[in-house]
This record gives sequence, structure tokens and C-alpha cells, in this order.
Amino acid sequence: MTPLVEATALTRAFDSMTAVDHLDLTIDRGEVFGLLGPNGAGKTTTIRMLATLLRPTSGTARVCGFDVTEEPTAVRRRIGYVMQQTFQSGRYLLTGREAVEIEAALYHVPRRTVRARAAEVLELVGLTPHADRLVMTYSGGMKKRLELACGLLHRPEVLFLDEPSLGLDVQSRHAMWDHVRALRDGGVTVLLATNYLDEADRICDRLTIIDHGRAVTTGTPAALKRAVGGDVLLVSTAERERLMQIVSPAPWAIRVAASDTVVHVYVADASGALPALMRLALEAGIPLERLSYTQPTLDDVFLLHTGRELREAA
Amino acid sequence: MAGEWVQEVLALARRWFIMLRRERLNLVFSLAQPAIWLLFFGAGMGRAIDTRVVGTADYLSFVLPGIIAFTVIGNGVSSAMPLLFDKEDGYLEKLMAMPISRSSVILSRFLYQTVLLAGQVLLVLAVAFAMGVRLAAGPAGFVVLMLTVALLTLAVTAAFLALAYAVPGHGTFFAITGFASLPVLFISNAFVPFDAMPPWMAAIARVNPLSYAIGSMRILVLEGWTSELPVMLGVLAGSAVLLLACGTYEFRRHTGGRVG
Repeated sequence: MTPLVEATALTRAFDSMTAVDHLDLTIDRGEVFGLLGPNGAGKTTTIRMLATLLRPTSGTARVCGFDVTEEPTAVRRRIGYVMQQTFQSGRYLLTGREAVEIEAALYHVPRRTVRARAAEVLELVGLTPHADRLVMTYSGGMKKRLELACGLLHRPEVLFLDEPSLGLDVQSRHAMWDHVRALRDGGVTVLLATNYLDEADRICDRLTIIDHGRAVTTGTPAALKRAVGGDVLLVSTAERERLMQIVSPAPWAIRVAASDTVVHVYVADASGALPALMRLALEAGIPLERLSYTQPTLDDVFLLHTGRELREAA
Repeated sequence: MAGEWVQEVLALARRWFIMLRRERLNLVFSLAQPAIWLLFFGAGMGRAIDTRVVGTADYLSFVLPGIIAFTVIGNGVSSAMPLLFDKEDGYLEKLMAMPISRSSVILSRFLYQTVLLAGQVLLVLAVAFAMGVRLAAGPAGFVVLMLTVALLTLAVTAAFLALAYAVPGHGTFFAITGFASLPVLFISNAFVPFDAMPPWMAAIARVNPLSYAIGSMRILVLEGWTSELPVMLGVLAGSAVLLLACGTYEFRRHTGGRVG
């Protein structure tokens, strides 16, 4: 089966800055694929190239079998693009229903079915009760859901979601995730750009971590985390450097890394490593402020590959 | 495909008409403004005017085409404003990711502006009629006058759209339009005939496309069918095509870097 989205050495430079640098992507039909990275990593630039809005400086990309620079119209017919922002001007003085109907016509939904299709997507994102209110009066979450509805009008084969839960409260985020899962179950392929670790972890089947425009690593969230190690010890101390020096040689320490505040010690099994680490610290006279352990998260994956934590990278 | 293209233009135009319907006061003031001006100019200014200078005793008929041109220029800013905001808001970018023809975006606005202008002009003509103005060119002249208004609307809207897409932000747009709109009107034959102007001013007024729209309408109102009319309309049409080319160029340039 040919992949639905395939980018090869995709590159985009703005003046002196290379926003996307030889990025390779392969997205299969029916998966939710994540692009995880800090702000400015090149996620939106990548999506804009795939959505035919930006010409690549070099490299190629095919979406649904069509080259994005050679056959842009064929690509546009098959993609839905839900941008990061919601629109003030674009929705000015329109009700949700009107906004969706207008965009249905722009996607060439047959005239006689525009109304029905608009009602269908509004129902899908739970906006039916608010469909006849002005969009200006919507909450942030409702505006995001409206944009999602607009992206579904023409039954796209692949949906590009750029930061779908940016600025949403917890409840709205969970609702958004449910919508994305439902779409995947309905056969839609989703490319989702996010800088939220939990979002990537919970809803992506596979993901690429991207930093400074380059793909850092790709895999399922579980496999990426497995590659980091079994457990992570999180140690807070004023003497991070010395602690790293004495812990690194220990046979149970697979890898040691430090963020600005915390030393991360990757181990196979925390239950044996915890007392061992405490003993080493005690013997060296290093005061420990906090000590805990967790399963590795995608933040650890990011730290492993970039030397920084995603939370601080933005 | 033609069917899809019509569907796009109508859908985008629907947006403009819904906005207008929700802003009743906007609609009321837009429609009433030219009629008010005509009353003001006709009843007030007309008495202060030397009829030997304007070349006719019927100042109301003389100034009617000027008022119509004033209205078209006055609508210029609001004709481009929503597209300017779409550009800054990112909504234009969203439209560009859709499988639509680039031209639909601009055409929908022309369609809207032409309908709005037609409403305003019909109202001001009705008021003029009530005040005793009759078209020398008769009912067929009325049709040509409306076509002239449509051409002028096309030209002016294209110029304002070109500016909207060319400027870095709306501040510059409002600064330039605020600076230029009224001089463009005053350095034309809207209120004063060429012959009454100082030579330098007449020279500028004669290259102002607005003068040719006003000239055409003035012939239709005051003189009827003359051999000068096709020349004037020709210059107006040529200017409209040129300004439309500028508008299209700036639109393309702004949406450039994109594919297709």
C-alpha cells in the first residue's frame, strides 16, 4: 500500500533561517500521525507545504498520491486543513451554520446537499444547539470545533490539524481528542501538529519528534518511550553536576541527563536503583531535595534526543 | 469548471450580503448618503454657484454625476476593508488552501459592490427625479448610466483592492486612502468643469479616470447622445481594465510563494 502522505527531504528556508530541514515523513492510511515539537520547530511550515500553501525550497511531498507542487488542486480537493487560529474577520457577523454552509459551497458540495451536509458536520462536533448563534459569541472551544467541522465538509482523505487544542480548557481538549479518535475510526487519516506531550501520547498512533526543522525520531509513543528505558529517576539537587559524575559510572544507570532543574537517571528498574542512588549521594555528601521516579514520558524521549526538555524548548 | 466557479463566487458574495444585512445601520447610511448629498448640493451649493461657470442653469443635473462619483469613491475604503482584514486575520490563507479559483475571492467583492452601488444610485436618481432632473438621453440613457456606474465601481474597487494587498498593514491602507480619496475627487470634473480650472489642475483632472466616468454621466444627463460619449466610455473602460490588472497583480503577488 502506498503511503497517504510521503515527504522526502522536504526543506523550506526563509531568508537565512531553515524552518524545515530535509524532513522525511511517511503517513499510512487510517492513522493519527503526530508532529511533536516546541513552538518554532517547523510543524506549521511543514503542514503549509503539505497543504500547497508554501512552495518547498527543495525536496518533494506527495499527498493522496499527488505531488503538492505539480498538482495542487488535486491535493486541495482531498485535504482538510484546520489552522492553528480561529478567525475574527472570516466569521464576522456570521452564524455557525452560515459559516459552515458557505465553506461547503467553496468545497463544491452539491448545491442540493449543502444544507444537509452542513447540519451533519455541525452535529458531528456537537454544535447543533448553537448553530444559529453568531460565531463571535462562541467560546474558544466552540470556535475550534467549528473550524474542525469546516475541515470535514468535503469528506477529506486526510485532515491536517495544527494545534487543535491550543488554548482550550481541559474539558474541551478531551472533547477534541474524542472527535479526532472518532474521525480515525471513520477512516480519516489525521496529521496532527502539537506541542502538548499528553496530546501526542494519547491520540497519536505514530509520531515524529521535530526540533529545529529536523526529524529527531519516529515511532509509536510506546516504542519511543521504551527506547528510553524502563523507569526514570527524577532527582532535584543543588549539585547536579557532581551527582551526574558519581551516578554515571553506576552499572544500573543506563543514561543520565539533566534539564535546568532536574537530573534524569534512566534505569531498567526503579525499585533497585532508588536505594542505590540514595546511597551514592549520601556517601558523596550531596544533599537531595527531592527524589521520585516515573515511567518515561515523551518529554524524556525529547530530552534523550535533543538534550533539552520540550517544556523548556519553546 | 464553470459551475463550480459560479458556486464559489455566490458563496463568497453571500458572506458579504449576510454581513450587510446584520449591519442595518451600515445599510441605511450607505443607501441614504448620496441622496443627502444631492439635497445639500442642490438646495444649498447650487445657489452659490455661478451658472456661467458650470455652463448650465441646472446645477442639480450638473452635480448629480459628481455625487455618484463621490459615492463610488466613498465606498472604496469599505469595499476593500473586509479583504484587508481577511488578509491580516489569516482567513485569506485558509481560502487559499481550498480548491477554489483565485479570482473568485475578488470577483465576489466586485459583485457585492456593484449591487450595493446600484441600490445607492437608484435611490439618488429617484431623489433627483423628484427634484425635477430628467435624463436627456431618455430611458436607454438610464441603462448606459447604470453600466457606467458598474464600470466605475470596477475601476475604483480594483484600485482599493490593489492597495489593500500591497500595503504591509491596515494602518498604511487607511493613511493612504484618507490622504488620497478626496483629492482624487476634487481634482476631477465632479464639481467644477475643466474650463473653469487653472491649467495645471485641468491637466491633472484630464488624466483622472474619474473625470471620464463623470463626463459620460454628465453627457447622458445634460446633453443626450453625443459623439463624445463613446470616447469617454472607452477611456473609462480602458482605465478599469488597467486598474483591474493592478489589483490582480497585487493579489497574485501577495498570495505568491504559494503553489498554483
